[in-house]
Amino acid sequence: MIDVFSYVPAIVLLPFFSFLVALGVGKHLPKGGAFGGIAATAGSFLLSLWVLATVAGGEAANRTLYTWADAGGIGPTDIELSFGILIDPLSALMLVIVTLVALLVHVFSLGYMNDEGETGLPRYYAGLGLFSASMLGFVVADNLLMAFMFFELVGLCSYLLIGFHFREPGPPSAAKKAFLVTRFGDYFFLIGVVAVLATFGTAQFAGEGSFPALAEAALNGSGSVAWTPGGVELQTWLTVVGLLVLGGVVGKSAQFPLHTWLPDAMEGPTPVSALIHAATMVAAGVYLVARMYGFYALSPTALAIIAFIGGFTALFAATMGLVKDELKQVLAYSTISQYGYMMLALGAGGYVAAVFHLTTHAFFKALLFLGAGAVIIAMHHNEDMWDMGGLKSKMPVTYYTFLAGSLALAGIFPFAGFWSKDEILYEALVHGLNDPLLLGGYLMGLLAVPVTAFYTFRMVFLTFHGEPRSATARDPEPVRWNVKGPLTVLGVLAVVTGFINMVPVQKVLGVEGIDLLHLWLDNHWGGIDGLSSHHYADIGPYSSGYLVGGEVGTVLVGAAVSLGLALGGLLVAWRLYNVPSPTEHTAKLGGIKDVLYNNYYLDELQVWLAYRTEDVAGGANTFDQGIIDGVVNGVSSVSLFGGSRVRRLQSGVVSQYATLLTLGLVALLLALGVSGGWFL
Amino acid sequence: MVNTLPQVAALLPVFLLAFTGLALLLVDTISPDARSNTSMAVVGALGSLAALAASVWLVVSGTGSADTGGAITLFAEAIKVDTMALFFTAIFASVTALVVVAAHDYFHDHASPAAFYSLVVFAATGMALLAAANSLAVVFVALEMVSLPSYVLVAYLKQDRGSVEAGMKYFLVGALSSAIFLFGISLVYAATGSLLFAGVAEGIGSLAGLAGVAGLGIVMIVGGVAYKTASVPFHFWAPEAYEGAPAPVSAFLSSASKAAGFVVAFRLFTEAFPVGASLTAGIDWVLAFGVLAAVTMTLGNFAAAVQEEVKRMLAYSSIGHAGYVLIGVAALSQSGSANDAVMGAAMAHLLVYGFMNTGAFLFVAMAERWGVGRTFEDYAGLSRRAPVASVAMAVFMFSLAGLPPFAGFFSKYFLFMGAIDNGFLWLAAFGAVNSVISLYYYSRVVKALFIDDPASSSSLDAIDVRPTGLYAAVVFAAVATVLLLPGFGPVIETAEAAASALF
Repeated sequence: MIDVFSYVPAIVLLPFFSFLVALGVGKHLPKGGAFGGIAATAGSFLLSLWVLATVAGGEAANRTLYTWADAGGIGPTDIELSFGILIDPLSALMLVIVTLVALLVHVFSLGYMNDEGETGLPRYYAGLGLFSASMLGFVVADNLLMAFMFFELVGLCSYLLIGFHFREPGPPSAAKKAFLVTRFGDYFFLIGVVAVLATFGTAQFAGEGSFPALAEAALNGSGSVAWTPGGVELQTWLTVVGLLVLGGVVGKSAQFPLHTWLPDAMEGPTPVSALIHAATMVAAGVYLVARMYGFYALSPTALAIIAFIGGFTALFAATMGLVKDELKQVLAYSTISQYGYMMLALGAGGYVAAVFHLTTHAFFKALLFLGAGAVIIAMHHNEDMWDMGGLKSKMPVTYYTFLAGSLALAGIFPFAGFWSKDEILYEALVHGLNDPLLLGGYLMGLLAVPVTAFYTFRMVFLTFHGEPRSATARDPEPVRWNVKGPLTVLGVLAVVTGFINMVPVQKVLGVEGIDLLHLWLDNHWGGIDGLSSHHYADIGPYSSGYLVGGEVGTVLVGAAVSLGLALGGLLVAWRLYNVPSPTEHTAKLGGIKDVLYNNYYLDELQVWLAYRTEDVAGGANTFDQGIIDGVVNGVSSVSLFGGSRVRRLQSGVVSQYATLLTLGLVALLLALGVSGGWFL
Repeated sequence: MVNTLPQVAALLPVFLLAFTGLALLLVDTISPDARSNTSMAVVGALGSLAALAASVWLVVSGTGSADTGGAITLFAEAIKVDTMALFFTAIFASVTALVVVAAHDYFHDHASPAAFYSLVVFAATGMALLAAANSLAVVFVALEMVSLPSYVLVAYLKQDRGSVEAGMKYFLVGALSSAIFLFGISLVYAATGSLLFAGVAEGIGSLAGLAGVAGLGIVMIVGGVAYKTASVPFHFWAPEAYEGAPAPVSAFLSSASKAAGFVVAFRLFTEAFPVGASLTAGIDWVLAFGVLAAVTMTLGNFAAAVQEEVKRMLAYSSIGHAGYVLIGVAALSQSGSANDAVMGAAMAHLLVYGFMNTGAFLFVAMAERWGVGRTFEDYAGLSRRAPVASVAMAVFMFSLAGLPPFAGFFSKYFLFMGAIDNGFLWLAAFGAVNSVISLYYYSRVVKALFIDDPASSSSLDAIDVRPTGLYAAVVFAAVATVLLLPGFGPVIETAEAAASALF
């Protein structure tokens, strides 16, 4: 029997090798090393499918591969640091998503980068390879520290790729912003990792001695943790640790208030945006919460905060998407908003719903970005939607796939996004009826639905419908198979992915066994104990409440409301923008328009905060230069001065040496003799 | 296998060294006029390497260790061979081999180099004997066996005023110190009635009113140790002797001779004057060593920071390192759990120090051989003409400063760690602050070698020869300094095992 899990490291290493190859000899390869990347990600994809099939066959793996530090300790706790793999239904699913999207992005890049005659391609493909490898390493990580390392690598790669066009002014600054803002969150994450290691002595995600299991046992009273900071109650401390780790999540998954880097990150090449938004960087944050959900489920406060941040971000980002003029900007805000939904789901106890939305979103958002990339190719890299129009007839493949993605994003039945978003809202509703904070999150999520539908179709209508509004729109550049192929694959997925988890249908009609994802994540076909959705529901704080008509009634009402709102938003967009020559309607918004254009002035706020931080830093600098450096300089001048005294002592006259030597000995004798009472 | 040999075979390394010294004299006697520099160096190197091999073999085969029946005592217990004795013999033999090889080039034009080799080997014999001494009388005799050749070695360049003057001063301070040491021995004998370490320890336990006499004696013995290890206030000879002496001799004195002083200290202050009994009797020599350690490292580092000549800087840095190693004795305590750890770390530091410090002095010897000058400025840009040696020197400097990943970092780390575990945080803090200061002057050398521009374009032309032996010794010492890093586990284990046998 071949042990597929021993090939799991290869899934991570293949793209890494493509990174090395592209970096080392990419200049001499055809297409700048693209084929290496395609072959590597294809190999990873096939291996991931194999892993998925094996997991479906009832196997799972939680293995330590290499221990690189042991028998050390943080404070009073002994710890062991290792690399390992954790393959369970969640990570197997994520592996397939990441490798598939990475593969398609590589293929698409042939059209977007190579065919457009970009320079520096080996660097580009090296970046893509390392990016994929980092994310895959993060996905299979079996402990928090390893996850953190790959998390940081993901951040580094995003920096390299967003700043790919480093000779232009925008990309380097956007790359820096992405790096710094996410780093701000990761700072808390790092403290969180240390806190986890210090508290539990382990950072393993799964198994008997894993930190979620230890935390659960400690809360039950059937175990204890190694360390808590003096006097803090265990429950409070667990919440604090959870929130520290959440800092990294908020940064990477672009949640309020650390979302500001993401719209700027649109400066990167469009395939990179697709990769960042669909499968790697931004997904990493949400995946991390799902990975250690057994830990978060223990802390109602942390969950409520996650839910509220998520709901707020969903609505907040959607409103900013309303007024954007550039295609990719709209998509950027939609990404922030959609990850807000996932966070809402996680906070509301909807673990499966969050993973479901992560899956469907990965496909339809990759689709939308690649579709936008196709439009950008056609428009000679003009991204302003007001210069487009009428592209529908000239690029039908792009149009219909983009439309499928848009319908999914807007949450229209029966496209993928409908099912997952509906389930999120349903979970938030039934759990929120007993919890006001959660209900607030639900209401914001619900309000974001029509907004999402509106801006999505505003984008579709402006881009593809109506009369062409510029010369390039009248005569767009054609795209080739390497663009259409990935679009088609993703278009199909955007339509059908929703069917893997038809919970509403199951609940209303009572058909068993069509909620595949629920069963999958509930270890129906096998998995690792303690990492199942049932387990999370058992230890979680929530109970369900229903509206009229019990469960079925609530399902129907919830779905009807959200679908109705989505259709409403779509219709408004239809009325306003599906006309031959649409005009801007933003003026009607009055003062709000400026606020939305300027993203609620959050960038300004952050800059202001940065300057205030600079003031504080100035104070610290004064302290550093005055006190710290003063002490250091003092030590050095004292030692130099003392040294020159010593030199003077070393006179070269040997009789003086004898005198000093004898005096020294006598002093020692007297000191010890008097203290020891020898002379009495 | 070792058990089948007569017990006296445990002294094999000492015999080998003594035999080598005699053989050197014999060669010189048979053909006194021949310019026998090379043959002398070969004989000396082979002899010391054989001694090294013998001591390593004896350690590996467990001679004198607790597992194979404990220490071997000979000659009415005057001699005691255990793991620590062999460990230090290995240090002495390695340094001797390095020095002998390097001296071949250094004395290439000296009129009569033969005596040099025999003196070095005889001094090494004294050191090896010192490491195995189990009686105060043997200690004194062995100490003089080390000292007397050393005086001659320092003054070996008879035409050089500096060398002769340094030898003279060394001799005078040494005579005074020996007198103090001997006086101390006699006082201890008066109080305890024994010269054997075990007997002295017994006597310390029941002093009955003679604590003052014993205390005076012990402090004077501390003085003798301080002289041999170049610790304050007995350090005055060191800067001048190291500077005036031929550089290989400086290397020999500052590494091997210093280690010899420490082996005496380690043995005396665990076996003859055990911590517990001494403190009970009101003789707080731990405090004395603590004060000496702190003052020595501070003074050594402060003074090294303001030197202009590299060799003199190394001389003071050697005093500073004596201060670090003194922690190994100063951080002992009656009920400390880490007594063996801290003393073992001090031994390991001496081993590492043996390589890195010898290497550094030999680099200076090479610079003297080239005639590039003595100050930091004179070393500017040497890496352009002598890259390998310069890299080796950088390794020595960083290792001496205690930077990872070099061996000097680990020995110092274990030393400070042991001190902290034993409750001597203040000593470790002193050591750490001093290490920081030391980085300043060590990196000055590296900066001069690699970054600074030579004073003039012709100043590097002096480097016109490639002294093979010196090069080999320097590179070997550098490799050892680096290789001790992966090999540090066995070293520290052996050292700790040797130390724990003492308690």
